[in-house]
Amino acid sequence: MSGADDQVDEILKSVRESPTYLNLWSAYKKIQRLSPKPSEDAGLRAGIAIIGSSTLEPIAACFDVKVRLEGFHPHTFVGGFNTYHQEAMNKTSELYKAEPNIIVLAVDAWSLLDQEFLSNYPRMSSKSRSAAIKELVSSITAIAEVLEKNSTALVLVNNFIVPTFSPLGVADNKQKLGFKKFFRRANQLLEEKLESISNVFVVDLDSVASNFGKSSTVNWNTYYRGSIPFSEEFTPIVANEYMRYFRALKGFAKKCIVLDLDNTLWGGIIGEDGIEGIKLGPTSPGIEYMEFQRALLSLHNRGVILAVDSKNNFDDAIKVLREHPHQILKEEHFAALRINWQNKAANIAELAKEINIGLDSIVFIDDNPAEREQIRQTYPEVMVVDLPKNPRLYRTTLEKLDVFDVLSLTKEDMARGEMYVGKRKREEMKHSSTSIEDFLRTLELKVRVKLTDDFVAPRVVQLIGKTNQFNLTTRRYTDAETKSLRDAEESAVYSMAVQDKFGDEGVVGVAIVRKKNVSWTVDSFLMSCRVIGRSVETAFLAKIIADANTAGARRVIGEYIPTKKNTPAADFYERHGFAKQKETGDGASWMLDLARGTVEVPDWIDLIEE
Amino acid sequence: MTDAEHTLAEIISKVLLLDMNELTDDLKRGDYEPWDSMAHLILISEIENEFGIFFEDDEVVDIWTVADIRRLLSKKTSS
Repeated sequence: MSGADDQVDEILKSVRESPTYLNLWSAYKKIQRLSPKPSEDAGLRAGIAIIGSSTLEPIAACFDVKVRLEGFHPHTFVGGFNTYHQEAMNKTSELYKAEPNIIVLAVDAWSLLDQEFLSNYPRMSSKSRSAAIKELVSSITAIAEVLEKNSTALVLVNNFIVPTFSPLGVADNKQKLGFKKFFRRANQLLEEKLESISNVFVVDLDSVASNFGKSSTVNWNTYYRGSIPFSEEFTPIVANEYMRYFRALKGFAKKCIVLDLDNTLWGGIIGEDGIEGIKLGPTSPGIEYMEFQRALLSLHNRGVILAVDSKNNFDDAIKVLREHPHQILKEEHFAALRINWQNKAANIAELAKEINIGLDSIVFIDDNPAEREQIRQTYPEVMVVDLPKNPRLYRTTLEKLDVFDVLSLTKEDMARGEMYVGKRKREEMKHSSTSIEDFLRTLELKVRVKLTDDFVAPRVVQLIGKTNQFNLTTRRYTDAETKSLRDAEESAVYSMAVQDKFGDEGVVGVAIVRKKNVSWTVDSFLMSCRVIGRSVETAFLAKIIADANTAGARRVIGEYIPTKKNTPAADFYERHGFAKQKETGDGASWMLDLARGTVEVPDWIDLIEE
Repeated sequence: MTDAEHTLAEIISKVLLLDMNELTDDLKRGDYEPWDSMAHLILISEIENEFGIFFEDDEVVDIWTVADIRRLLSKKTSS
C-alpha cells in the first residue's frame, strides 16, 4: 500500500466516526489533493458525475466520499454551473470522457421557469399553466434521454421539490391547477415519461425533502451567496439517496433478514409466557408486532428472504408460527429456520450455508443487545440492526434501512418465497435418496437456454449486477452495455431458465460470449446460487459449446477471476475438461480445444433449446 | 484555548485542509491555494451555523486572514 492510500484510509476513518457535512467536504478536498491512484481492481473503480443548474460540488463531495466509504475508488465529475445542456449534448464533453457509471441530473425547477413565473401564476390561465408543466418536464426528459443515449451510465434525475408555499393560499387546491399541483403534476409526468427507460431513474427528491423537513432543505445564505441548492444538513441526506442506487448498481443489496423471535416478532417469551401469554394481537400491546411482521411480509413478497435464528425449544416456537391466530409470518415465509440452543453466530453461519448466500447479504434483527454484539464480533460482514428498545419503533426502523434496493423487480423476485419452499422439499428428498445422481434424476430437471430477448433482459441485467458466488468473472454490465452486447454480431448474451418438479426457478443463469474468428471467449458466466448443486451449469456450458461447434469455432476460452466470494466457481473450467492456459494478472484463463473435447449435457437434465 | 476558539480552529483547519497545529494567524486567502472562493463560502457558513451568527456581505469580502476571522467572530459573539 502506498503512502497516499494510507493517508486516504486515515482521512476516511475520521469521516466514518462523524460523517458531518464539514467532515465529508474536508475529506473530499483532502483526498483530491492526494490524487490517489485508481484501484487496480476494475470492479472497485466507480465513475460518478453530477450535472445541473446550481453549484454542485458540495453534493458531489458527499456522494464521492460515501462511495469511498463503501470501499470503492470513485472518480467524480462535477458539472459547471448551469452548463448541463452542453455537457449532455456534446458527445466529446468532459462528462463523457470521465466515463461515469452514474450520472445525476440535478436541475432545479426554478432555473427552467420564467423569472416572473411565481408572480404571474395567480393570473395564469389553466391552459398556460398546463403548457408550462409540459415544457418544464420535457426540457428535463430531453436531457435525460440524451444522457441515456450518449453513455452507458445509470442516469438519476432529481424530481422537483413541491413548494410548501402557494400564493393562492388555502384556496390552492380549489383551482383546477393550483400552484402546488403544478409541481406535483410535473413530478408525475416526469415519472410517466421516464418509466419505460430502464437506465433512467427519477430520484424522489421531493419525498426525501419531506421526510427530512422541507423548511430545512435550503440554507438561504449559501443559496444566494453561491447558488448552493441544499443546506449543510440536507446535502448528505441527498447523497444517501444516491447511494441507494449506487449500491443496487454494484450488486451490494442485502438479500436476507435473519430474525429473532421472542420480543422481536412478538412480545414476551414463548417458553415462559406460553402461546396465550405472548403479546401478539390486534390491539396494543401486540399490534406493534403484527405491523412489524406485516412490513417484513411486504419485503418477503418482493423477494427479500426471511429466516429465523432463535434460542428456544423448537416445539414451543414453531407452534406460534403454525397456530397463533395473529401470527402474520407463517412457516412457509421462512427460507430456513434455526430454533435451538446453539449460539446464534453458529446458527447464522448455518443459515447462510443452507440458503446459499454470503454473510454480507444478511441483515440480523434481534432485540437482545448481547446477541447482536456476538454476531457483530463473530461476523463483522453481517449487518446488525440497532433495534430500538421500544417495539413501537421496530417497523419504522425496518422501513428506514434502505438496504434491499435492486434496480428492477422481476418475476423471479416476486416468487422467491415459493422457490425456497421448493428448495426445502428438495432438501428433504435429497436426504431420502441413496445417491446424489438418483436424487437429481427424480427432480425432472428442465433447463431452457436461449439468447436474451427483451422479455428476460431486466432479469439478466439484474443477475449480472448482483450475482457474487457462482460468477466466473464478476463483470458488472449495465442495462445499456448488455443491450449492446446482445445487439452486436460478435457477441451473444445467453440466458438460462431452470425448472423442476418442485417449481419454476425462472431465469437463473447468464453467459456472455465474445466470438472472434475460430475462438469463442466466455466473457461472463454466472448463475444464481439457488440452483447450485444440480449440474445445470454443465448443461448451460454444453449448449454454448454446441453452438460454438455449429458456428465452426475451434476453441472455447474461459476465464476465472477470483474475488472474495466466488470460490464456488473456482474449479468450473477444470472440472469441465478445460486446460489451464495462463495465469493472468487477476486470475487464470482456460481453454477447451473443440477437436479434442466437448461437454455433455448430464443425462438427468432435459435441455430445451429455444 | 477556550472551547469556542478550539471549535473555530477545528472548522478553519478542516476547510483549509490543515492539521490544527499548522494553522497560523497570517494564513491568507488568495496566497494559500486551498482557500479559494468555494472554501471561503463553506468556511463562512460553517462558522455562521456553529456560532449562530450572520456575516454581512461586506464582512465576508473583507475577511482575508485567519486573524480577521477571529477578530470578527469575537466582536460578534461578545456583543
